[in-house]
Amino acid sequence: MPSWQDFQPFIVSGLALGGVYALSGVGTVVLYQATGVLYLAFGAVGAMGALIAWSLIHAGTPEWVAWLVCVAFGGAVTLAYGMVFGPPLARRGPLVKAVATLGLTLVLFGAMDLLWTANGGESRAITLPTDNGGFMVGQVQVNWTQVIALCAGIALVVVTGVFLRYTKLGTAMRAMANDREITATLGVPVRRVEAAAWLGCGLIAGLAGLLLADLVALDATTLTFLVISSLAAALIARLRSIALTFVAAIAVGLIHDLLTPIQSLSNYRDMTPFVLAAAALLVLSRHRVISLSREDA
Amino acid sequence: MLDTASSTAAARQHSPLHRPGTRTLVRTGVIALLLLFALLALPQLLSLYYIDTMTQVAVYCVVALGLGVLVGRVGLVSLGQAAVLAIGAWVAARLLFATTQPYPLVLLEAGVITMAAGTLIGLPALRLRGLYLALITLMLAGAITVVLATTNFPNGGHGFLGYNGSSVHIPAIRRPGIAASDPAYFRYSVVVAALMFLLVFAHIRTRPGRAWAAIRQSEPAALAAGINTTLYKLWAFALASFVTGVAGGVLAGAVHYLYSIDFPTQDSITLLAVVLMGGAYSLWGAIVAALLLQLLPALLNNWGVSADWLTILFGLGVLQVLTTAPAGLADQVPRDLARLGRLLRRRVRRGRPRRPARSGGGTG
Amino acid sequence: MRLYKRAPDARATIALAAVIGLAALAGCSSNTSSASKPTSSAAASSTGTASTGATAQTSQCGTKPGVKAAGTPIPLGGIVTNQPGTSFTDIANMANAYFTCVNDNGGINGHPIKYYIESEQTNPGQIAAEAKQLVQTDHVVGIVGNTSIIECSIDHSYWQKLGFYIVDSGIAPECWSTPNSAAVNMGPRYSSDGAVQYALSQHVSKIVFDQSNVPGTGYIAAGPAALAGAAHVAVTQLTENVPISDANSVAIKEVDDAGPNGAVVLNFTPPEALVILQAAQKLGLENRVKLWGCSTPCNTDFLAQALGPKWNHKLFVNAELTPAFTSSPSMSLYKAILAQYGKAVSGGIGSFSQFGFAEAEIVVHALETIKGAYTVASVNGAIKAVSNFDTGQLCQPWTYGSYPMHIPNNEDYTVTPDNGHMVLAQGCTQISSVDPQIAAYRKVAG
Repeated sequence: MPSWQDFQPFIVSGLALGGVYALSGVGTVVLYQATGVLYLAFGAVGAMGALIAWSLIHAGTPEWVAWLVCVAFGGAVTLAYGMVFGPPLARRGPLVKAVATLGLTLVLFGAMDLLWTANGGESRAITLPTDNGGFMVGQVQVNWTQVIALCAGIALVVVTGVFLRYTKLGTAMRAMANDREITATLGVPVRRVEAAAWLGCGLIAGLAGLLLADLVALDATTLTFLVISSLAAALIARLRSIALTFVAAIAVGLIHDLLTPIQSLSNYRDMTPFVLAAAALLVLSRHRVISLSREDA
Repeated sequence: MLDTASSTAAARQHSPLHRPGTRTLVRTGVIALLLLFALLALPQLLSLYYIDTMTQVAVYCVVALGLGVLVGRVGLVSLGQAAVLAIGAWVAARLLFATTQPYPLVLLEAGVITMAAGTLIGLPALRLRGLYLALITLMLAGAITVVLATTNFPNGGHGFLGYNGSSVHIPAIRRPGIAASDPAYFRYSVVVAALMFLLVFAHIRTRPGRAWAAIRQSEPAALAAGINTTLYKLWAFALASFVTGVAGGVLAGAVHYLYSIDFPTQDSITLLAVVLMGGAYSLWGAIVAALLLQLLPALLNNWGVSADWLTILFGLGVLQVLTTAPAGLADQVPRDLARLGRLLRRRVRRGRPRRPARSGGGTG
Repeated sequence: MRLYKRAPDARATIALAAVIGLAALAGCSSNTSSASKPTSSAAASSTGTASTGATAQTSQCGTKPGVKAAGTPIPLGGIVTNQPGTSFTDIANMANAYFTCVNDNGGINGHPIKYYIESEQTNPGQIAAEAKQLVQTDHVVGIVGNTSIIECSIDHSYWQKLGFYIVDSGIAPECWSTPNSAAVNMGPRYSSDGAVQYALSQHVSKIVFDQSNVPGTGYIAAGPAALAGAAHVAVTQLTENVPISDANSVAIKEVDDAGPNGAVVLNFTPPEALVILQAAQKLGLENRVKLWGCSTPCNTDFLAQALGPKWNHKLFVNAELTPAFTSSPSMSLYKAILAQYGKAVSGGIGSFSQFGFAEAEIVVHALETIKGAYTVASVNGAIKAVSNFDTGQLCQPWTYGSYPMHIPNNEDYTVTPDNGHMVLAQGCTQISSVDPQIAAYRKVAG
């Protein structure tokens, strides 16, 4: 069993990983609360935005322009998807809506590999200026990008929590996510509210994509399917509580990295998000509920 | 669950006591003809490249069939079938290396063990519904993928895992004695696939099929009618896992070498996409799904088109199916063709000399 | 009379527009991506001077300069991996560029070469099917340019049965351990040997060897383990699932295990190696070990540029090929052919295109010795007879030979990043015979 000294640096990296999962997980849950759609294309949209930013930087565009384009791309694609495929699927259940976003994921994933090939041993990377500054915690350095990611996660939790609960637009979004028809009859301008929800969450996806491309890797496959691992945190929170998603994400990241120095488990540590999510889902659904609502399918 | 069209189709289901009419006889005849064609004519007509591809089609027909039972018949979306296929292939490979049992026995054992694993996984997961069930299957598939990446597939080594990492010459997974060549193995896989289809068909036509239809219409109503929904849902999981396990065994013999990188989690997503596109409800849909998944890439490869276009196509296909054609291609294409037929007939009738006007007016 | 008007299917239109838009984007971006490719300044100047005499230089590839070959084509085939994250099509495309050059300059005794490239997605059934496609449908008489994660394992018995002696740039163990495959590269095991050997030569006290979890990790790790064992240096063998989603824990684990006087040697594809090294840098760990090593995939200027100056002379990469900035007639020909015929080689100057060049060179050399018909027997007999051929891209002359195993490239360079380029750190050094497979090969080959 490794000593406390061995575990220490992994606490830092675990928190960093937790920040990564939190960014992705919280963004997904926020969108779920605002639109009723589990946006599984969250990672793919962010990845494509980051790759576009990379291409722009490579072609000589100023960095901040490229970052803005990345965020804007996330917003644009998500908005377009929400406006085109939101209404026809509005009456279907959350499962159908989630599977539809899988369709979007596949389209983006195929497009990314077509446009940014892996030829010639290309290694692409996004570096933010905050990468190289930082402070020491124990033996490892924490760089400012990781701090920003963590703070962004916290900010997302607080701001969207407040927004969804206390503002008129936020309440309208939650109402629409619950039942679009009834909300429309109440006089809420559903198309506009829907557009705002999708656009806002798309911008979050773009921003998260940029940060994740820096923190994890600028690789289409990794970033697209990172959403599956970060879903674990969202599932532990039953997709209901944004704050709980954040806490769960940090916990998953910590546990994942703390398993690294344990020789027998080290190679299996990538299972952590999946095992925890499955366990949480099973434990938390101990009581069987027969639901009569249409929403179930 | 995923479509209203299939629920009406479920209502159209006949009781098995109904005497087979002409339509059924014709349909059986067509299926028998197609089967004979596949077994006898195809191996002569196709090059080895396409025979190998069609063997893969046969394997994935069965996998799509299993997923179709879950998604189309019962309404349970599973995002983990690629992992189940991997388990089936793993068990078959281990048995084929470790024992000298005859091939059909190995396939049966692979199916049974995979069925046990699938049922074990399905048991606690049945408490979840809809989206959560799909997500937990995704999580479990992710976990299994990680385990397989570390334990690897058997390659003739010793011990429980049967994996020899330092091997310089990996032995090939054996094939049955009667089906060693590629065309012969293609016929073998078609026969196995046909048996699996028969098994599923038998289920659908008897009590489990009716119970599944009832559960899909409304689970509370089915419960109220006295159907043991837990048992039948588990049965669906068991059946899907069994056929997928057998398919895994056939896959092991087809490819001779298995690698964990061949069963990534995203394969489960692509599988769901093609099953939806092909039609989750209809048995023909499983064949269409397998053709999309295996034959189309092989064709595109020959035409020099990148496989990425196929990924994009599948994504668009999922979106199209879910928004406009819920029952998939297998249901949509015959309907579209019928509609086209009606349109053509109307055009032809308009062209003929007019009869004396009847009450009601002859409109085109 | 229509009872209702059917609304146009908006969704289908949008989807179609999206696909067309993507196609247009694909067309545009493939041009821009090759245009914005960074090449080392040395290469840029050499292509500048070569452009004036480009045609004259490339004509050296064939026997009759300027004469287009018009006889019956000689069909050859190649299988390369092309999937998200891993693409080796550059190797086949460069070989094709070489063959096109030869076809423009006399061909093989007037016969043009027709090269069929099959790409695969690491699917064993697909790979076996493509091999049969090449043989049965395309009637190829030779196989060259195979670069695949698993192709050698899957097809080696097929090639053996049919009598094909393939020239490849392999990855799977069977590319070096079977009689019908000879590679121009050293592959993960022997290249890792080279990297570990360099680390050992710098007197480190511990080796941490980390590699990606692809097929054959035990086989690959056995080489470095043997080398470290013979030098009485402790070695830890690690594997990571790729793609790596958490590079921080990987970097911390490696550095902790190696210690301040140890070395971390990586065997990953460039994107994964980059992610690990960048994580180490961001964590401030790059100086916590004595040195970092990497097998040959890291030998790209892309990696040197992406890593930045902090890694100057800190990372030592095994190089299976003569660095492209070396001046030699072969290098000039390589760059000239790349410039004139290599539009499809998106990676530009680098080890992938060098592999393709070398393999095509070898096969053309073999074909030119054939008098008479070009059949499977004659072509593969000629390939097998290639002996002591100087490709101009390797440390040593290349030999096929009638051996039960082939490791013809067993001498290497070591390079290190220096302000965005890879520069030479050590010249040609033999891979030690402490590795049992190398010893076995040297015994049969003499």
